[in-house]
Amino acid sequence: MSTMRKQRRLTVWTALKWALALAIALVAVFPIWWMINVVFAQAGEPVSLNPRLWPTSLGAGIDKIATIFAETGYLRAYGISILYALLTIAGVLLVGSLAAFEFSLFEFPGRKILFGVVLLALMVPTAVTIIPTYVLVSRLGWLNTMEGLVVPGLASAFGLFMLVQFMRAIPKDMIEAARLDGAGHFQIYWHVVLPLCRNALVTLAILTFIQTWGNYMWPLIVGTREELYTVGQVVGQFNSPLSHHTVDTVMTANLLAAVPPLIFFLIFQRQIVQGIAMSGSKG
Amino acid sequence: MAFLDISSVSKSFGSVSILRDVDLSIEEGEFVVFVGPSGCGKSTLLRMISGLEEISAGTISIAGEVMNEIEPADRGAAMVFQSYALYPHMTTFENVSFGLRMAHKARDFIAGRVNEAATILQLEKLLARKPGQLSGGQKQRVAIGRAIVREPRVFLFDEPLSNLDAELRVQMRAELTELHKRLGTTMIYVTHDQIEAMTLADKMVVMAGGLIQQAGPPLTLYDDPDNQFVAGFVGSPKMNFLAGQLASVDAGSVKLSGVGGAADITLPIGGVGGGARAVTLGVRPEHLTIAGDDAPGALSGRVTLVEELGAESFVHLTVADGTPMIVRARRDAARAGSRVRLGIDAGRALLFERDGQRIRGSLSLQ
Amino acid sequence: MPFRRYLPHYLMIAPFMVLFAVFFLYPILSGLFYSFHDWNGVRTPEFVGAANYTKIIGSRDFSRAMGNLAAYIAITVPLGILVALGLALLVDSFTGRWSNFFRNAYFMPVVLPAFLAATIWRWIYAPNFGLLNIVLGWFGIPSVNFLNDTDTMLYALIAVDIWVSAGFNMVIILAGLKNIPTELYEAARLDGASKRQQLFHVTVPMLWPVLFFVLTYGLISAMQVFDKPWLLTGSSFTSYGGRRNALLFPVMDMMGRAFGGVKFGEAAAYGFLLTIAIVVVTGVMFGLRAWSERR
Repeated sequence: MSTMRKQRRLTVWTALKWALALAIALVAVFPIWWMINVVFAQAGEPVSLNPRLWPTSLGAGIDKIATIFAETGYLRAYGISILYALLTIAGVLLVGSLAAFEFSLFEFPGRKILFGVVLLALMVPTAVTIIPTYVLVSRLGWLNTMEGLVVPGLASAFGLFMLVQFMRAIPKDMIEAARLDGAGHFQIYWHVVLPLCRNALVTLAILTFIQTWGNYMWPLIVGTREELYTVGQVVGQFNSPLSHHTVDTVMTANLLAAVPPLIFFLIFQRQIVQGIAMSGSKG
Repeated sequence: MAFLDISSVSKSFGSVSILRDVDLSIEEGEFVVFVGPSGCGKSTLLRMISGLEEISAGTISIAGEVMNEIEPADRGAAMVFQSYALYPHMTTFENVSFGLRMAHKARDFIAGRVNEAATILQLEKLLARKPGQLSGGQKQRVAIGRAIVREPRVFLFDEPLSNLDAELRVQMRAELTELHKRLGTTMIYVTHDQIEAMTLADKMVVMAGGLIQQAGPPLTLYDDPDNQFVAGFVGSPKMNFLAGQLASVDAGSVKLSGVGGAADITLPIGGVGGGARAVTLGVRPEHLTIAGDDAPGALSGRVTLVEELGAESFVHLTVADGTPMIVRARRDAARAGSRVRLGIDAGRALLFERDGQRIRGSLSLQ
Repeated sequence: MPFRRYLPHYLMIAPFMVLFAVFFLYPILSGLFYSFHDWNGVRTPEFVGAANYTKIIGSRDFSRAMGNLAAYIAITVPLGILVALGLALLVDSFTGRWSNFFRNAYFMPVVLPAFLAATIWRWIYAPNFGLLNIVLGWFGIPSVNFLNDTDTMLYALIAVDIWVSAGFNMVIILAGLKNIPTELYEAARLDGASKRQQLFHVTVPMLWPVLFFVLTYGLISAMQVFDKPWLLTGSSFTSYGGRRNALLFPVMDMMGRAFGGVKFGEAAAYGFLLTIAIVVVTGVMFGLRAWSERR
């Protein structure tokens, strides 16, 4: 008798749990879904007729996308954002892994102090560096250039920290064996250590991509001329009350901007989640 | 001048001293085993020979040349690590050829050397596999292969068999002996397992507390140890040690009293100097016999445990002063709880000062 | 002489350290320098001592911005973590495919750039035609101007913030949950603890280090909020902060003074003031932790 009641209570709990979980999932995903629907609906159709709960017109959506690419600087902004992201990823990975290699596997005078200083940097808010960095970049003549966008972000303390954690797990005797085998310092880095932290490098690359793609504040002040606008800036432009674009155009711009991170996420979700979880649990 | 000379070598990390004033000469082609308990400094000494550890004081020379300042890769030494240290993302071929590839040797040259090593170690069929697809024993052989291709003048082994299971260990021991016979290269081997040391070594070096306790052929260390530590370390089950008093001395023998609390025993060791004093008697389990309670013999004790192994038994007993002893006897030699008398092969028993030094008298055993 | 031996190490870390020194350490130091000067970017900077600092602290915008910030973090950080904790527990209660499905669904907003979240929500919040107001319309409730009504603006912002960041914190907390050995729960169950008691006496205490990290990191980043309020109010350097500065925040104010008012010295000083506030808050957090650990 009591087992039956327990079973029924279980079902009530389970049902509630599922209802709650699905409802929240809906709230989490719906705005993205809504955005897709707005794009893939007949332009100008009043909301009372079509409340945009599901996509209604594939053709209209494609039209809007084509229009945006043809008539605005969006395609160019896309290219800028991609270039910005790729250059940053290459730089962060290279510079970071070279340094992480040393900090995690070797001893040399000053190691602890230097590493400590970099760690402290993780705690310094961007607020205090962004204006002076802008001034420096301006002095270097790098305003409105790709260098100005990319280079200041290459010494990523977060990236260094993450790679050091990974590399620490490499058994020291593998390095010693390579040393005994006559491998030079850089050879050990390139042939032995880098291949072994492929996972960490991929995760860092993805996280860097997402962060760069979504970077708004820095490109806003460094890329003041239209040729160097990133996707973020263009979207922000569409967004301002001075713009005369319709909801449809704005949402199309938004959707296109959302596509790369979403694709990365769907393919690499395990790595992304693991990367964030790991940095959190060690922090 | 020996092939490898370790001269007054010391090592300390900060204020902690690991090795103190170590001297050792190794001949070319010898198989030398450093053996001792954890922390005795054997691995550190090996790593100093390889160049992976700095030498705090003293010199290490190979073929007359001092190696202290020379890079590990230039010393002509190759090392096999306890964990094999194979590169997991490379195939066997790539692992073995790593050093040669880093030195940018010609492809044919590399292939030749690798195939040679593969033949010696029976790795031909495994060359395309990665470490993850190899068994422990196979990984071990790949690690050895990596060392062989460099044609070193010294092979260094750092506890290479500790990660293998017992059966495999026995097999690999035999293979290592074979390898040594075949290549004839000087080999320096570190282990904590004295059985490995006994079976592999031409010269066995027992270390403890940062010092070399004794160095020599294994059987010499077994039969004629320099001190109590070596006597107790070598041989399993351990040698029995009994406290006693040196009562009197004459030209060819030494009389002990109060051995194990009660017994009087005479040993045929002549020319023992010094006066009456406390000493320690050492006798191996196989040099004792169990007799019934009524048999002659000075030592007696109560049996606490009998371990029957089939072909023989280990009889554990305690003597008058409570010291535990083990006797290696035939099966069914005794029963737990009973009192027994022990016969001693006095000619094989050893005498030590209380501080552990061996008392040899003026006549040394052969 | 021994330096030569360490040379390869220094060479390898050089690219990173040089970039770090130039683009991180130097800006901090030069920022400090500029904060004591009046400078419009073109003329030579003029030393004004602590004038920038006093001017900022006395200004109405500063009080407004800090006030907004205090209200903002007081709600968004604890609420965000509670939501993240709840989500983590919820996701953890499922297994296998479904667990991953929900985890991914909740995490998806995090992957979106913040400016995207802001613009999407800007349209959801739009008066009359925005999605929320349409739904309200179904219930007969008149349209609310979420982003222009000073009463609702802050809460609208907080909702967006939690929507974006809950998934991020959830993932970290989930990892912490997975690290709690099941034996602890089993022992508690055998001791007669109910599910709720297990939650309070096993889960939360074991999660404490993770929660602390999430809390501290959340505070530090919430104190630097910029993207979302900027985009939700459609701000520009000439007009920012929304209606009656209801969504004016310190970083926004700082940026406005730099690029709107072209006063770089003041902006630098502002940055340091904010940093002091952040350091104080972080210090308090660590102090609380040390105090609670000693008990």
